[in-house]
Amino acid sequence: MPYRCVHCSKLYEDASKEVLTGCANCGRKFFFYIKKEKLAMMENSSQKNEPELELDEEERKKIEADVREIAGITNEETPIFLDFESVKVIKEGKYLLDLPKLFSGKPQVYQLEDGRYIVDLSFIKSDDKD
Amino acid sequence: MIRIIRNFSRRIIASLFNRKENIKIGFYGPPNSGKTTLANLICRDWTGQEIGTTSNVPHETREVQFKEKVEITHKGKVLTFKIVDTPGIATKIDYEDFLRFGLKKNEAKKRAKEATQGIIESIKWLNDMDAVVVVLDSAENPYSQVNITIIGNLVARKIPVLVVANKIDLKKSNIKRLQAAFPEYEVVGISARDSSNMDEFYESLFRLAKKI
Repeated sequence: MPYRCVHCSKLYEDASKEVLTGCANCGRKFFFYIKKEKLAMMENSSQKNEPELELDEEERKKIEADVREIAGITNEETPIFLDFESVKVIKEGKYLLDLPKLFSGKPQVYQLEDGRYIVDLSFIKSDDKD
Repeated sequence: MIRIIRNFSRRIIASLFNRKENIKIGFYGPPNSGKTTLANLICRDWTGQEIGTTSNVPHETREVQFKEKVEITHKGKVLTFKIVDTPGIATKIDYEDFLRFGLKKNEAKKRAKEATQGIIESIKWLNDMDAVVVVLDSAENPYSQVNITIIGNLVARKIPVLVVANKIDLKKSNIKRLQAAFPEYEVVGISARDSSNMDEFYESLFRLAKKI
């Protein structure tokens, strides 16, 4: 599944080395999965380079810190990939929880291999204005 | 031969004894339903100590807290429990909801993050529970996603459930509505704040322990 950098919105194909070494654009290791169909749609649309998340950089940093704390992965060198949408972070301090998914017993943090994790969280676009 | 029978009997008695020795009871429910108030009441009555702080601000309990070896005597029977009080489970946590209680923005955001962590923790602890007391506010509509999801999951995991209809001291309290919502479960009405109907609660709790 392709990835998108949470901080700068740069898109990466599946298995790109940047998701482990850090985003080529901003160097961060905080990504979320997007579906292939969505990637194709975005590549064909005029919105290709527009950031989807209406958050400023400060908010993104704070959200990354919060997610790392919630997931218990505070080492910023450890890449995080957000998926599964059981906990949606709308913006800092605003969360939506999908209880049936949380109760389903799946672990919230999946360790794929040493130093590589999938975290059971997801971002959604927010229309909220502070 | 006699020794084998004696050892076997001892093992059976010991296993029965252990089973009743440290019954892990989880207090689950939505925020502000009175889980900690009830857990405090029980712990105060039987150990002299409380388990946690309570507040009108939702999500006051944001970490799972427990009290070991709470020995409760009821009608001459004695059972020992591990009382596990859990953070309130919700589908939405918004720091702005805390602002109207006078919290500052940063405090409210911190509370929201911790509450989210707390919910994930609560759910993780569920598998360790021998039985669960679901504490609901009897003045609120019982047909919420949170209530239905909690109780549905307990059933799926075959964890014995007791439903507590708390806050019966409130005018809007409606135990019958709660009983109608969860007809397969024993529902006991109490007011943890006033300590009312606690005899009936302990009666139900001991019946729940028998189902383990």
